[in-house]
This record gives sequence, structure tokens and C-alpha cells, in this order.
Amino acid sequence: MRTLFLVTLTSLIFLWYLSFLATRLDRLHHRVETSWANLDGLLQRRAAIALEIARSDFADPASSLLLTSAAYHAREASVQERSATESALSGALALFLVDGQLHANSAEQSLLDELGALTAKIRIAIAIHTDSVSSTQKVRQKIAIRLFRLSGTAPLPVTYEFEFDAL
Amino acid sequence: MSLNKLKIGIVCPYGWDTPGGVQNHVRDLAEYLINAGHDVSVLAPALGESELPDYVVNAGKPISIPYNGAVARVLFGPIAFARVRQWIGGGDFDILHLHEPAIPSLSLLACWAAEGPMVGTFHAAAKHQKVIFAIGPILEPAIEKLNARIAVSEAARLTLTNHLDTDAVVIPNGIYAAHYANGVRNDKWTGNTIGFIGRFEEPRKGLQVLIDALPIIARFAPDIRVLVAGPGDPKEFEKSIDPELRHRFEFLGRISEDEKADFMSSIAIYVAPNTGGESFGIILAEALAAGTCVVASDIPAFDELLGGGAFGALFSSQDSTDLAKVVIDLLDDNDKRGQLALAGKTHAQIFDWDVVAKQIFSIYEMAMVGGEGVTLASENRSWNRFLSRDENKS
Repeated sequence: MRTLFLVTLTSLIFLWYLSFLATRLDRLHHRVETSWANLDGLLQRRAAIALEIARSDFADPASSLLLTSAAYHAREASVQERSATESALSGALALFLVDGQLHANSAEQSLLDELGALTAKIRIAIAIHTDSVSSTQKVRQKIAIRLFRLSGTAPLPVTYEFEFDAL
Repeated sequence: MSLNKLKIGIVCPYGWDTPGGVQNHVRDLAEYLINAGHDVSVLAPALGESELPDYVVNAGKPISIPYNGAVARVLFGPIAFARVRQWIGGGDFDILHLHEPAIPSLSLLACWAAEGPMVGTFHAAAKHQKVIFAIGPILEPAIEKLNARIAVSEAARLTLTNHLDTDAVVIPNGIYAAHYANGVRNDKWTGNTIGFIGRFEEPRKGLQVLIDALPIIARFAPDIRVLVAGPGDPKEFEKSIDPELRHRFEFLGRISEDEKADFMSSIAIYVAPNTGGESFGIILAEALAAGTCVVASDIPAFDELLGGGAFGALFSSQDSTDLAKVVIDLLDDNDKRGQLALAGKTHAQIFDWDVVAKQIFSIYEMAMVGGEGVTLASENRSWNRFLSRDENKS
């Protein structure tokens, strides 16, 4: 009788623990989705600003062409290519900003200011996303989660490779 | 800032009516957000002896526990947890901002009880928190629910990454820079004066280091005066001061916020000889904003705030000879003192609430991208339903 009681109790506690782990993991996946949605939104806005800069007067035809194609590539890239295309866009913007800053009028200056503010936000968004991905990956390493397939069909999130210096 | 009005819930872990850096920060932030048109509710423990502002919800009387070399007045336990659940359940918040969620406090309880957009700010910086952070594995499931983490300084961020293995965005504490820039010079504090503000009885504030440095300073600057402001009993210190120098010290007692701005603007040098336990150094930011030349010990937080010496002079911590050297050097050289003060005043603008609150708000926006608001966590929802069913029966 006593053994039966103990076995029931232990399995109940174990089941509770599994459900606790599953909820915890679900929340983490949710957090990854939020931080990615945030980063994605900011990157889309950056591509839009890049296009606007490319269309403005102070972009010479060559750099305008470069920026436009980089921005389109970044917007239409699949998830796998995303970080590479965004880095390319960063590079194009950086090339442009070196001499662009020198002769910008007030309207264009506000575009550049907006880009600067956005870049600062993107840096933070990447840090937040990386942190949420790494804590999710860490929890998914747990034996109980792997053994009982608590992560279900959710894909393992990957960190976003981004060239910080080029940003 | 964004045009739409948000419902923001802020949790302050320490007793609202006891003085402290975190409380000041929460109060200023809450008031700034309210002025910007948001709906803010602050949950905090309070002794309840004085009247609370109407945006503060009293969670009960705090209890005192020793923490990080001082006594922290915090609150936890089943009754507090019920209050927290009630506050979250009835608050309909868009976002929760939890301060210091890694210590046993209301913030940790709120982190357990809630689900949805949450931001946590970590204030503490300390090397020896093994006891508190030994419970890391227990804290982890709660802390990892935070959408974004803020550390008030690089030192606080390092503490967090070392103990809890998670990263944070550094956003400094805020000050009202204009308030300090508008301080009026008061003749009774001007001249060859060194200023010190703080609870000087606490050894970690380092007043003793300054007292030990004075004999050397006085040899080179015979008209030097040391003005010490802050609550406490000066008798113990007066005994340890060389009788010939005793009249060089003036203990002013506690001074008001307005007097503080005037004080900072009048003195020649502000000295912060703290020996440790600081994670930010808000007093230095205030002194810089007032346009005062600052001399501080080279503990990590101060080193960072003063840009490694670019915005104020540093001396090696606990070394009174080095402190004396730096002070004498600056008293001699008016130009250098003026340059440092000017560089500091310009730099202090990054601590202004207009800048800091905008940064914090942009973190809120990032945490809220999902679109849904704050609710009680699922496990707590069912628990609440269970409890209310019981009440219906009886």
C-alpha cells in the first residue's frame, strides 16, 4: 500500500515537473518569436529608409544603384539568407555614409538622423534576440526535455549572425 | 515618445518611504512617464507612516534583511504574493517593469506571477553575492520570462552575466540635469572647499579616506575646508580628526534637493571616496551636471561614469595619499579644474531624464511587439480560480 502511494506521489510530482518544463519552454519560444518580430520590423524599416536615401538627391547614381539593390535583397531574402543580406545592406550604407554626411541638406540630414536612431535600436534588438535564443537553446539541452520531446515540432531557434562593426 | 497611452506597472522592491537609490529612480521614472501622458501604477512595500503619492499601491510593511553590505527593506511571503497577483490580475497592464528581480522581493514575486511583456532592471553590482546567486537555478525560470533586461551600468551588467548567465542592455540611472545646472552659488560654501554628500557613517562611503588625506592637503592649501552633508552623527569622526584640523570640517546634516544643487555649484571640488558597493554613482552624475569638478575613487562604477578620468579625476581607491595628490594638483590648477568640470557638465546630459526615459521607453516598445498585454501566468490563473471557488462555497 505504502509503496503504491509513494509511486503515485512520485509520478504525480514528475508529471507536474514535466508540465512545468513544457510551459517554461513554450514561454521561451514565445519570447524568441517576440524578439524576432521586433528585430524583423526594425530591419524592414531600415531597408525602407535605405531606399528613401537611394532615391534622394544627394545619392549619386552609382551608390544609389548599390543601395537600392542591397535594400531589395534584404527585404526579399529568405530566413537563411537574411543575415548575409542585412550585413550587405549595412556595408552599402556605411560606404555611402562616409561621404554622404559631408554634403547633406536639412531634409536629408533628418533621414540620416532617423537611420542613426534606428541603428541604435537594431543593436539593442539584436542583443535582446540573441539573449532569448541562447536561453531557449540552453533549456532545450535539458535531458527531460529531449527525452520526452517537450519541444514538440518547434524548430530550434538560431541566433542572428550580424556583423556588428558594419552596422 | 509614442503617441499612444500605455498602462505601465512598475514594481519597486524596497520600502517606498525609506531613502535609497532604487526608490528615487522608480519615483522619478514613474513621474516622468505620468507627465508624458501614460497611466502608471507602482507596487511597493511601505511602512505607511507618511502619505503615499496616488500612483503608489502599498503592498504591505517591508521586513529588513541584510543584503550587499547594507540592510534591505523588502517584502515577500504568501500574503505579499496574493497582493501581487491581485495587482496584476486587476491592473490590465500593457507592460510590467520590475526593478531588481533577482533578489527575494516583490519584483521576483511579480515575475513569477505574470506572463506577457516584462522588462527587468538590475541595479546591484557586487562581487560577493554567492549566497543570493547560489539560488540561480531556482531564479532562472522566473528571470528568463523577462523580455528584456536593463543594467544601470557596465558593472551591474557584469554582475548579471557572471551570476545569472544572461545579457542586458546598459541604460544609466536618470537625473534632472537642468535642476543641478541651475544651482545658485552660495558664499558660505565657496572658496577652497571640498564637498562630500552621503550617509558618512557607512564605512563604504569612505569618509575616513578623506579624513586621512586632509593633513597632507592642508599642508599645501592652508585655507582648505571640508563640507560634509548627509544624515548621521559626526561625533565619532570628529574624535579621529587631528585636533588642529578639526575646525576645517563642517558637518551640515541632511540637506534638501534645492540646497544640494546650490551646494554642488558652490564647492571647488566634489570628492567621492567610496570604497565599493556602488553600481552607478548617481551623486557623481548630479555633481557633473552642476558643473563641479569631481574627484572619485577608481572603483569600477565610478571609473565607468567618469569615462576613465575624462570627465573627472580618479584616485586609487582607499589610498588617501593618492587622493591628497590629486586634490592638491587640481586646487593648484584652475584651468585644469575648469576644463574637467566643463567636460563633465557636457557629458552629464546623457543622464538627463529626457534621454534616459526615451531609452527605457524604446525597450518597452521592443518588449511589447507581440501585441498582447500582461496577464497572470497560466499556473497562477488556475490557482486563483481554485481559491475563488473556495470562497464561493463558504
